Amino acid sequence: MPIGQIAFLGFAVVSVIAALRVVTSRRVFHAALWLIVAFFGVAAVYMLLESPFMAAIQIFLYIGGVAVLTVIAIMVTKGVMREDRRILNRPVAAGVVSLALFVTMTWMIIQLPLPEEPVFPVVEGSLSLLGAALVDPKGYLLPFEVVSVMLLAVLVVSLYLGKER
Amino acid sequence: MGASSVPLAWYLILGSALFCIGVYGVLATRNLVVIIMSIELMLNAVVLDLVAFARFIEPARVTGKAFGIILYATAAAEAALGLALVISIWRTENTVEVEEIDVLKG
Repeated sequence: MPIGQIAFLGFAVVSVIAALRVVTSRRVFHAALWLIVAFFGVAAVYMLLESPFMAAIQIFLYIGGVAVLTVIAIMVTKGVMREDRRILNRPVAAGVVSLALFVTMTWMIIQLPLPEEPVFPVVEGSLSLLGAALVDPKGYLLPFEVVSVMLLAVLVVSLYLGKER
Repeated sequence: MGASSVPLAWYLILGSALFCIGVYGVLATRNLVVIIMSIELMLNAVVLDLVAFARFIEPARVTGKAFGIILYATAAAEAALGLALVISIWRTENTVEVEEIDVLKG
């Protein structure tokens, strides 16, 4: 078995186990810490996909932003010290639904004629191509600008909602 | 090159596994913060699939990553707004359990 496959399986197992702990761990705070582990596993898989820039964004934005924000929200709302045993809401039905979804998607993926190797050769300077495409009017300038306006709106709304009244 | 030995299907199966774990978290938990974490997990699985497609079936390897970056911004906005809502609900209702939040019930 090639080293790439072994590395992929290792990172995949780490992220799947961490994700399972996110949805099953008894304490919300532990779930947030497992979420960070899961994000690190996905960042490692990005490295295997030869996308170091995406891995860097994953760590900066998801772990540095989203996960830390979640931890702060837990601290504000519950208090870390308090033992809160999470009650599950219909766990069997939810498990059946998500397992059926997973089996269906995996079956579809196996049916598809997907490539084993990249179809096209590696392009040099892929990152500068990406940066140019994001600000190119013929590329992705419109979604880029829409998303920046949306971020500004969300920032204002979050400040308004979070304000003491 | 070690990475090229992993088929595309493996990445997609990993993405669908993470997505379905997120679906389970949304359906089965009552805590709003855990539901937001599960949604983040699902969005991350989608971006993983996009990056995998960008690497395997795209000539310039740009489109998938561009959409991934835009999705990242969307996910960050979703997390910020969701957690602001959670804190706001905590202030007025003193709970983050979804079954106890019924201010909008007629």
